Amino acid sequence: MKMNLSKSFSEFRKKPAFTGFILFMVALVLNAAIQGPAKFFSANIMKTLFSTNMSFLLVVMAQSILLISGTMDISVGVQVALVNVVTIMTMKTWGIHFLLACGLGICAALLASMVCWLLVSVLRLPALLASFALTYAIKGVNVLIMNVPQGKVQKVFYSAYDSLLFGIIPAAALFLVLALLIWAYVSRTRFGTNIYAVGANPRNAFAAGINPVKVQFQAFMVKGLFVGLAGICLTLLTASGNPNQAEDYGIRSLSACIIGGLSFGGWGSLACGAFGGGFLILIQNSVYYFFNLLYSLIPGFSVTSYWHNFISDIIIFLGLLMTIITAKGQREALQINLQNSVRFRRRAENAK
Amino acid sequence: MLEMRAIEKRFDAVVALNGAQLKSSAGEIRALLGSNGSGKSTMIKVLAGLVAPDRGKIFVDGQPVTILSGLDSKRLGIATAFQDLSLIPTMSVTDNILLGNEPLNSVGIVDTKQAQQTIRDLLDRFHIDCDPAAYVQTLPPSTQTMLEVAKAVSLHPRILLLDEVTAALHYDEIQVLFQILRELKAEGMSIIYVTHRMNEVFEICDSATIMRSGETVIDAPISELNLDDIVFYMTGQRPEVASADACCESTTEGELVLDVKDLEVYPKVWGISMKAYKGEIVGIGGLQGQGQPELIRVLLGAEKLAAGTIEFCGKPIHLKSPADAVSLGIGFVSGERGREAMFPLRTVEENIVAGKVAKGGIFQYLTPKSLRNFAKDAVEKYEIKIGALHHPASSLSGGNQQKLVIARWIAMNPVLLLLDDPTKGVDIHSRREIHKILRRCADEGMTILISSSDSEELLDISDRIYVFYEGSISDVLCDESKTADRLVAAMMGMNAANRKAGA
Repeated sequence: MKMNLSKSFSEFRKKPAFTGFILFMVALVLNAAIQGPAKFFSANIMKTLFSTNMSFLLVVMAQSILLISGTMDISVGVQVALVNVVTIMTMKTWGIHFLLACGLGICAALLASMVCWLLVSVLRLPALLASFALTYAIKGVNVLIMNVPQGKVQKVFYSAYDSLLFGIIPAAALFLVLALLIWAYVSRTRFGTNIYAVGANPRNAFAAGINPVKVQFQAFMVKGLFVGLAGICLTLLTASGNPNQAEDYGIRSLSACIIGGLSFGGWGSLACGAFGGGFLILIQNSVYYFFNLLYSLIPGFSVTSYWHNFISDIIIFLGLLMTIITAKGQREALQINLQNSVRFRRRAENAK
Repeated sequence: MLEMRAIEKRFDAVVALNGAQLKSSAGEIRALLGSNGSGKSTMIKVLAGLVAPDRGKIFVDGQPVTILSGLDSKRLGIATAFQDLSLIPTMSVTDNILLGNEPLNSVGIVDTKQAQQTIRDLLDRFHIDCDPAAYVQTLPPSTQTMLEVAKAVSLHPRILLLDEVTAALHYDEIQVLFQILRELKAEGMSIIYVTHRMNEVFEICDSATIMRSGETVIDAPISELNLDDIVFYMTGQRPEVASADACCESTTEGELVLDVKDLEVYPKVWGISMKAYKGEIVGIGGLQGQGQPELIRVLLGAEKLAAGTIEFCGKPIHLKSPADAVSLGIGFVSGERGREAMFPLRTVEENIVAGKVAKGGIFQYLTPKSLRNFAKDAVEKYEIKIGALHHPASSLSGGNQQKLVIARWIAMNPVLLLLDDPTKGVDIHSRREIHKILRRCADEGMTILISSSDSEELLDISDRIYVFYEGSISDVLCDESKTADRLVAAMMGMNAANRKAGA
């Protein structure tokens, strides 16, 4: 048993998700330490954590899929807002059922993903620039659909979202389970390996008989589905519509992916994104509680909330730096090992 | 089984294939031979669906077919093991081998059990000792090559293309590979085998198709050919194996500029020692991919050296970047104009002064007038045909672009000028002018190290030629020994084999 555990741990160490996992655990321990473990792990705190951050977490996972397949979309943030406004406005103007409106919201996310795929994979525009430009286009569409924040969701839905199942499981976590189930299936099909080949080297993938444009289309569709779910989470959380929200998810999801150990094209897994996203969420959370702790410990201590952002951004920056340094170290160690083994073989052969 | 007729392919001005033919039948191992730029790799790429031919027909089983993509190629039962590896380094061994061909169960999920079994059988068959879950980038090059071949074979093709796969393999691995090839041949597979190692051709191949400058020269059973014939058809020269190791090192007198000892560059170059004297043009010859570009880039500081020493003007140097090399007085002209030398959108003037600017301090003040004069002088001196100094460099013809790059460096008067295949894709007239310029510079005391894939060019211009074969120097030619025959022999590694036997 113990042998097995240590073996699987050393296996896990080689996985790309390892650094992200460590960072995530550090953030978790930090949180628990600041708030006190009993309080932090209480069902209510967990419920709030999941319900407020599920949308962002799903966006990070969506972004991970794109990064693996060698592309990206920084308009994911406004796409979440698009899902939100489409859901609310179709419900309001056509009077359709909330669940049907959610379906239409998901369709809107898929459509936006398809547009991005057209620009990036088919027309081969640089992904960063094309999706950045798309951000403004989608923002315009959002405001066209809904000019000012408005609308509402029936109480039964949003209170169900922000509730506990059986008193311990946050209902919002079900969205995560759903996303993971979708991924569990998709990643076990050919798509699951083809996506890595296309991300790492489209030419070689093409030579192996894979159609890179098609694989990236599939990646964009799965991503669209995830973004759709994220939009529904946001709608349930805010219980209203707002065309100007979640825009920063685009860049933040990218940094979460990098922190989690993903790199551009063919390296990493969805777990990287999940851990990276979790790290970002927990750091922001812990910094908030850390300042609360300071307020109560030091009488008269008072700073603006900008300091929260400043501190958490510095921590995130350090996290990013750390992943870059560890990745470089790994690569160099690998090179030297390989070099030595080849040189050794060569000398042995010459000696013969 | 397979027939290619009158295949033509042009890349811009360069004719890669010019009416090439290839035939192969079931249960045959056919060698596809040719020297640099003969088009054999392009032929392989046409069959693999990576290059679409401009003209010509391909028949499989007598039926005309078109191959436009890797998928088409696969569907026709063609599998390819590429020289520059088609493996994805960040994927596991299993995923790589099964890529695009994963066994699926009824609900479209990859059947991991069957996949593992397939991989285990395959690795056993090829005697590859590695963890199926290991990432390919963590494996040594020879294992990667074996995997590349295993991947191609795992597709159960009817036609198997092997493009210089033995270059990175060790002796025992080659024997394993040959055993498998013989088995596949007995099963009726048609195998096309590209190599530059002549002993392998005689050991394993049944017949040979030999190409020269994009054309098929001869198609014959191996039993009707001997080594001299093959080399003759490949190069148009009869090889002449060096009778003795004439030592060329000591014949040249003068100031030693470059002294390289036991240089190793991972993973291509092994134990190179060479010298270059002041005012000398030293040629570097050999078939493509024998380690020449790596040597040049190490001397430039663009690649890391794994072992060995470089002495420059009597002092050992440790280069960290090309900027170090430039400040020491080393210039570099690349044949890859677009990638490594030109700024196509910037003006002619800017392209010429780029080298001068690189050498000066970063905030050194440069007057527009002095720069213009500098550029004007260079253009006039080297007779570069331009519209005007302010036109973009891309407006020039290929030959003049190359002269521009050479002018950039010569104008700085480096002690040592490195040229990596500088006349690739350059017309004959410009080529001659470039040679003239280089000779004049050498006469003025510059040391020039020129690598070229063109044997005639090397023989024309160099005082001495180091011939590379598989990352080592197989022969050094100078004065009387500087003949086309001997160069050809050295390029084929004939001397290297002799030397090993003698040592």
